[in-house]
Order: sequence, then C-alpha cells, then structure tokens
Amino acid sequence: MKATKTARLLVAVLAILGLAAPASAQTQVFGLNVEGDIEAGGRIYGQKPSKSESAKFEEYRDLPELPYLGQFRLRLFTPDESYSSEFEGSKWGQQDQEFSLRTGRLGLWEFGFDWDQTRHIFSTNARMLATESARGVFTLPFPRPAGAAYNTARELDEISTRWDTARILFRLTPTPDLELRAQYTRTHKDGDRPIGVPFGFNVIEVLEPIEQTVHDFRLQAAIAREQWQLQAGYTLSVFQNALSSVTADNPSSVLATDTAFVVTATGGTSTPIAGRLSLPPDNMAHTLSLAGGVNLPWWRTRVTSNLSYSLWLQNDDFLPHTRNPNIAAATPDLTLPQTSLNGNIQIFLLNLNATSRPLPPLTLSAKYRLYDYMDLSDTIVFPGVAETDASLVREVHRAGRWSYIKHNADVDGRWRIVQPVALTLGAGWERWDRSPHREVPVSDEVFGKAALDLTPWDWLLAKLKYMPSFRRINRYDTRAHALHTTTEEDALSPQLQSFQLRKFDEGERDRQRIDLLVQLMPTDTLTATPTVGWRYDDYIRSTLGLQQETSWSAGLDLNWMPVERVAIFGGYMYENILQKQRSRYRPVVTTVTAQCPAPPCTFDFADFDWISVNTDTVDTYHLGVKVSLIPKVLDWSMNGNYSSALGRVETRNPVRPVTGTAAQNTAAIAKRWPAFEDTLVRLETGLKYHFWKNWTAGVAYIFESFEKHDWRTDTLNPFFPAVGLGGIWLGNDLKDYTAHIVGLTLAYRFK
Amino acid sequence: MGMKRSAIRVLGVAGGAAVALVAVAVLGLPGLAPAQQPSTPAAGAPLPAGYAGAEACKACHEEVDQKFAATKMGRLFLKHPRNTLERLGCETCHGPGKAHVEAGGGRGVGGMISFAKNDKTPVEKRNAVCLQCHQKSARLFWQGSQHESRDVACTNCHKIMEDASPKFQLAKETVIETCGQCHLQKRAQTMRSSHMPLREGKMTCTDCHNPHGTVTPTLLKENSLNETCYSCHAEKRGPFLWVHPPVQESCANCHDPHGSNHEKMLKLAKPRLCQQCHIESRHPTEPRGRSFDQARFVFGRSCTNCHAVIHGSNHPSGNAFKR
Repeated sequence: MKATKTARLLVAVLAILGLAAPASAQTQVFGLNVEGDIEAGGRIYGQKPSKSESAKFEEYRDLPELPYLGQFRLRLFTPDESYSSEFEGSKWGQQDQEFSLRTGRLGLWEFGFDWDQTRHIFSTNARMLATESARGVFTLPFPRPAGAAYNTARELDEISTRWDTARILFRLTPTPDLELRAQYTRTHKDGDRPIGVPFGFNVIEVLEPIEQTVHDFRLQAAIAREQWQLQAGYTLSVFQNALSSVTADNPSSVLATDTAFVVTATGGTSTPIAGRLSLPPDNMAHTLSLAGGVNLPWWRTRVTSNLSYSLWLQNDDFLPHTRNPNIAAATPDLTLPQTSLNGNIQIFLLNLNATSRPLPPLTLSAKYRLYDYMDLSDTIVFPGVAETDASLVREVHRAGRWSYIKHNADVDGRWRIVQPVALTLGAGWERWDRSPHREVPVSDEVFGKAALDLTPWDWLLAKLKYMPSFRRINRYDTRAHALHTTTEEDALSPQLQSFQLRKFDEGERDRQRIDLLVQLMPTDTLTATPTVGWRYDDYIRSTLGLQQETSWSAGLDLNWMPVERVAIFGGYMYENILQKQRSRYRPVVTTVTAQCPAPPCTFDFADFDWISVNTDTVDTYHLGVKVSLIPKVLDWSMNGNYSSALGRVETRNPVRPVTGTAAQNTAAIAKRWPAFEDTLVRLETGLKYHFWKNWTAGVAYIFESFEKHDWRTDTLNPFFPAVGLGGIWLGNDLKDYTAHIVGLTLAYRFK
Repeated sequence: MGMKRSAIRVLGVAGGAAVALVAVAVLGLPGLAPAQQPSTPAAGAPLPAGYAGAEACKACHEEVDQKFAATKMGRLFLKHPRNTLERLGCETCHGPGKAHVEAGGGRGVGGMISFAKNDKTPVEKRNAVCLQCHQKSARLFWQGSQHESRDVACTNCHKIMEDASPKFQLAKETVIETCGQCHLQKRAQTMRSSHMPLREGKMTCTDCHNPHGTVTPTLLKENSLNETCYSCHAEKRGPFLWVHPPVQESCANCHDPHGSNHEKMLKLAKPRLCQQCHIESRHPTEPRGRSFDQARFVFGRSCTNCHAVIHGSNHPSGNAFKR
C-alpha cells in the first residue's frame, strides 16, 4: 500500500517536472526563474536483516524496500536574483524524512522552515508479558504468571522513539552591520524506551512512555562596527512531559493486594503489588546574554566579553512517597513537607578575553571565565522515605542542593620566531568551588601549555601541543555528602562510602597531554595527514577508585587526486583507552553471628581488594574512490568503512581473599568477564550515468555487516530460572545483521 | 503541570507578539531596500584608486567568476552590493588589482591575496579580510579562540569561490568531512557502535560546536557542556529534587558524546563505570561476574536496571534514583 502510494507520488512529480521543464533553457514560471533537481529510485534487498535483527540496522534511519523519492530541490528566483525561495526535501514519506524551506531577499531578510524526523530504535526483539492498560501503566494478570511464561510472551514490534523537529527562523539584516534573528524550534518526542521498575531486590523491565515536547525560542540582535561589536540574546527553553509516572505490577507479589505492613527496627515493610516511578518533570529555562568586542587603539588589542544570566525553574507537583497504601497509612512520616520543589537554579556567566599584539611577531592573550551555578531550590527534609514502594525507612533524608562556582583563567604568549615557526607558551588555572557538602569543597588545577606550529615549506604543516596539568584539593571528606543528606549518626555508619575512595571527578590528578598533527602536501593533489594524541591521567592519592587512565590514538588520512578524473581518499585510526581502577568488596552482616555480635557490621578486609584494568581498543578504516570513467557521462564511486572495537575488563585480586566467611570470600573473588566486541563493515559502490542533458541514472550496491558480543545482553531472556522472579527483562538485544542492497535511482536536474 | 501550561501560554503570546513585531518591521522595510540604504554606493560610481573592477577580473578568470557568481556571496557582491566594500567585487577580498592587471596578470603578481595553500600572506591578514564583514554573531569570539590562535585560516574550512557544499560554502561536502580534516579521531569515533546520528546525516559537529570561537574552552555553542546537552535533552535539566552531583556538573563524567563502543555512549561498561565512584558497602562493591546469581546487577542495563532515573529524580522517595 505504502509502496504504491510512493510510486504514484514519484510518477506524478516526475511528470509535472517533465512538463514544466522540457528544455535546457532557463525555465520560467510566473516570471520567476526555476531550477532544481529530483532523485527517485527503488531499493532492492539481496539480503535484508529480519525484523528482530533490524534494531541496529535501522537505528536512526528508515530503509524500506520500496520506491522512494530520495531528494527534491526546487529554487525559484527573480531574474535579478534579489528574491529567491528554495524548497528541498529528502527521504519523502519515510520515518526519517526531512524538509526545508528558505525564502528571502538577498542580503536583507531570510525566512526559513525546517522539518526533520529522526527515530531511534532501541529494540525489535523484546518480549513483554505485561499489558499497557493505560499510557505508562503496565499490568500483569493475577495470579502472577510462572516465570517461563515471560519467555513466550508476545514479541513487541519495535521499541523506539521518534523526534519530530520543526523550526521556524527569521533573519533580518537591514544594514550589513546589523542583524536580527528570531528562531523557534519545537521538538516532539514520541515513543517508548526500556526502563526498570524495582521492588526491593527484584525488578521488572517495562516501557518508559515518551511523550515529551521541547520548545526553544531564541531572539538575537547583533551590531558590528569596524571597531566594536555588540550582541544581545534571549533564549527560552520549555520542556513539557505529558506523563508524570510509569507504573508496573510486581511479578513477585503473591497476594492480589499489597501485603500488610510489618514494623521493623528501621521502619517497616509491605510487599507491593505494583510500583510507581516518576518521569522527568516539566521545566523551563530563560537565558539572557550580552556580548561584545572592542578593538582598542593600543597594540592592536581586542577585548571581548560575555555576560549571561540563566534562570531554570521546575515546580511540578510531587508524586506521593508511595502508591502502596499500607505503607502510606502506617506512618505520618510520609506526609509531604511541601507539594513541589520550587526548583530554582540561577546561573551567572562572565567571560573576559583580551588579545594584544604589542610587537608584530608577538601575540598575548588572557582569558577569564566565571561560571556560577546557584541552586536556590528549596532544601526539603523528609522524615522518612518509602523505598521502591516496598519498605518504610524512618530516617531523615535531606534533598541537598549542590551549587558550585567554577573559575578558569589562562594567559599565553605566541611568538612568531620566524614566519614559518610560531611558539606558544602559556599557563592556566581552574578552580572548582563546590558546596561544603561535597567530598571536595575546593580544588585548584594549574596547567602549562606549549604549542609549536611549523610551516617551513608550502608542503608541510606541523602542529604540536603539550599540556601538563596538576589538580590539588583542600580536603577530601568521603562522608560529606551523606552528612548532608542523612542524619549525622547515619553518615558515620561504616556502611557508607569507603574512607579510602577518591572520586575521579574531584580528586587530585596529574595529567599529561600531547597532540601532534602533521599535514604533508607534496603536490597540489596529494595530502597526507598523520596525527598522534596521548593523554595520561594519574589520580594520585587514590587508594580506591579510578587510579590511572591512559588514552592514545594514532591515525593517518590520505587524499590523492592522481589525475583530474580520479580522487582517492582513505584513512586509518587506532585508539586505545586504558583505565585502572581499584575497589574493595565490603560485606555487611545484619544478623547476630560470631563474626558480628552487634549488627549491622560492615567489614573492610584489606584482602578483599580487587583491581580492574579496562581496555578499549578501536581500529577504524575508511577508503573511498571517485572516478569519472567518461567525463560528464559516467562516474564511479566507492566508499568503505570498517570499525572494530574490543573492550576488555580484566579484574583480579591482588591477594586471595581469605579473611571473611567462606561465602564472603567467594563473593570477593574477582570474576572473569568475556570481552565486549563489535565490528561494523560498510561498503557502498555505484555508477552514475548522465544521459541526455539533465538526466542521471544510478545503480548502487551497498553491503553492511554488524557483529557484536556483549555478554550482558547476548543471551538475555526475559526470565532466567536461576534468577527467578528477581529479574524480569524485556530480553532485548541489538542483534548482528548482514545486508546486501541494490539501489536504482533516476535523477533529473532542471534549470 | 497545569500551572505551567498557563505560564507557557502567556509566554507563547509574548513570543508571538515579538514575532509579529519583527514581521511588521520586515513588512515596513522594503523602503530600506538596498538601493535606498545610505551606505549603498551609487551605481557607476568611480572605483577607488588602485582598483580594477570585477569586469577586469572576469576578462581573464571567467570560469572562476562564473562559479563565484553562482554562490550566495557572489550574487550579493556582483549583483546586489549593499555598500562600497561589497561593490568592489573580487577586490573586496583579493585586494586592489590594478597593478596585477597592468602587469599583465600572473601568479603572485601585483601583491594580491590569493588565499591559496601557498599564499605567503599571513593567516591573520587573510582572516582579517573575511572579518571585515563576518565579525558579528558567531564570529564575535574568533580572536583568541582555539582555532585562531593556531593559525587556522577561514579558507581551511570554507571554499569561497564555489559551492562545494550545500550550505555554508564549506571546503568539503559536509561539516563532518570539513572538521575531520584535522580532527581525525573525532571523525573516527562517529563510526563506533554507540553514537549520535552523525553518520546518518541527522546531526553535525556544528549542532554542538561553534568552530569560530565561543565562551567555552571546547568551543561549545551553549554556555557550558551540560547546557549544550540540555538543548536537546531538556528532560535532564531539572532542577530535580534529588540531584546526582557529578551528572549536574558534567555529562562527560560518564558519557563520550563523540561515540563509544559501550552502550549509551558511556565511557566504560557498567557496572565498572559506576564502581569507579561507588565503594559503599554491600552490592556496589562486589567484583561481580556473569553468573546468574549476579544477573540483576550486571545483566541488561546493569546498575540502571534498578537505579533507572540516574540523571535525577523528582520523586520524594527517589533519593537512590530508583523512583
């Protein structure tokens, strides 16, 4: 049906164009010149990935097996070209279609409209036993089905989300030095994606309903004079979520109702029949900015600055602590102190940059940046919480606010020693001034910078950069976060973060970084670009946590045009990322045992340490050829890509764990993980035959193959007997695929 | 949500009014058409000393002239100049050409700026030619930017004399190819299994970056890394009741937006990624393998099987990001 409609559309469009533009002379319609092109075709699969294999194949695209209107462009313009209007579209009628309209008066104003559809497929092989009785409400039959029933549940056609983006823009340039812009973008996201709803220690995976809209409205005015420029802008971004929660039935509930509330030392428990999880709340952000630049008369100095103020608001009503009435009724502790957050974040940004050239070969520059992120939302204290609709925890929880101020400053001097050699030396500083309730309230990072740019000959360009940096902190308090969010007694509990942990984003770090880019152009038609990058992060004083990270890459890119009719390009990139992290299994005993006479006990056995060395190695190749076999008549092109990634996680114990009980020792032993692997091969080759004056026929062959191994999802079923009802998944996995496609196209260019 | 809707309606009306005002301004502006602008030169006005005029250039460089005339800039300069600078046509950028013409032409003759790879004119001087007109808006912070300070010329990325790309007169056919001339590794990352839709043509580098200089160290278009991500992923902006502080500070603590071989563009496979910061007691600290007794913690989406709203929660009991 769809194929027939598309075919009819194609024929109609081609017929109209054929009648409208029969000759090669400039076509005119109502006194306007017309030009454009249209390409239509058909796609034939030699081998098509099956539905269950198509999630990765069509992840962000739509490749139906039917005639299609690939490209259409129509430009109308006045004979003097002062006014023009251009409409173009591609992938008509497909899930990923896009259209664009631009109309305007040259140099004065422009109006634009864009429409884009992008879908993201998450899965095409998921199974779900629960049914969606209302949007975002997933119900299971009662009595609950046996575990095996989940594996024979209906297969979901597709789990995906589609983003439909519409954009309207208007640009006015009343004089060459004045520009006014207005732009509105509406992005509507519709679909689903997998999400887990936990109940205590069991979880069921269902679909998160996505019905979200983002409105983005921007206004900007800019004026530019020879010696100064000024621009002001306002941005409004509004996020709307049509849904506030997702609810799923508990596959482990034995009764048809939530079980009776049982009081415990810390609160109480009740097995829920269902759980409810919140979805992102509506929010709104306003940003005002003012930026300017001025050229000063001294030393060819230019100063630029930017001031920006943002206000982010969010005040959606809270959901109740739990949908489980037995927990809610058991205690007044779950009465909400207020109905919403009164969320208010204010951000102040200041940038001040100056560049100066006191001597012809010397350029000095200085930059300062202040980013002040103030979370002024209410700090709400909850006397208790209902964990996963399954248990009451009578423990004070404070929803902390985490403001921070970030300063960046750097200065550098660039000396052009001789025309082909420029040396840059500089230094910089970055300070994070966080809330005193973060582990590290203040950190300072200083860095040096040395860059050498060489262009000794026309055919050689080399850029080398070295940047060492050193981050130091005033103190590290592993319990600061907990002290702020729970009561002080709880925060001192040994069950919380290990005192030896140093989080990588806050802790002390020494970093070395080198980048080299060389461009060799031995002839006008040959360019070779080798590049090397190396980065080494040493998280010093990190007994536990990330300790080292080394990443390096080396690659080469080649572009060669041996004769005017032949272009060859290719490249290779090798990337290696190595991380070393150290952790310690810290068992807890909650009942009275010989090992733990006064529970709960947390054990910190030094021989329970484990070290994980995580290495990702990626090889990426590309090769392409474009040949004009018969000039202006027959072209051949070929393009190939190969990317292979290997991820290894090698975990070991530095010493054999022996201090705990037998069960604890077993749990502490490092386990072997199989490697993560994926390979993508893509080859596309095609011939284009230009016949008559404006017609082009094309034939193309495309081969694509994807293979991956991820032990976490390769054999994932919704239900595993060994797991029981503790985990019910959708069982989705991105499957391997191989595709052979032949494409036939016919294009017509009219003018 | 109801209250929000009314607020949005008010803002919508205000926005609509603003657009209407702009529209009125536009409709009223035909009187400001180029021919009547004060800065517009009179047709046939004499050229400044040393200039030869576009017709003289065309006499020898006809093929180049034809290609340039088809570009947006060519149409503006050659047919509808708005001021005396644009009226100089080819010489607006290449400099006065009378000496070149009188010497009979030839490569490098007459001291003109050719913008070719082997042009000896310093990059700063070449770029200054473009900045005569293009200093405002996206180029305001060009001076001192990462690209400017490393001698990147406008013509490294832009081809002015012909339309090699559908938009922006790029040196290559697409933005990714243009940026990929130097940023080879980032271009390679787009081929990784977990990626944003760049190689599918739904995004480009310039959706997030402004290569002409911005107020961020990595040339991001918005005021910070997170604000750049929020421009599309606004659902993660909050403010949330329960905040995951490293998420609030930088999305790049966990994600590599250029592409990754791990799901969701994560920098490392879960649960190891989470275990770099979570060394609380009990389940976060077990080394964990692939046996089914570990399944809830490692299979499927691993830690986020249960901690599903890891970017922040607005649920009163969402302190562990499970609600």
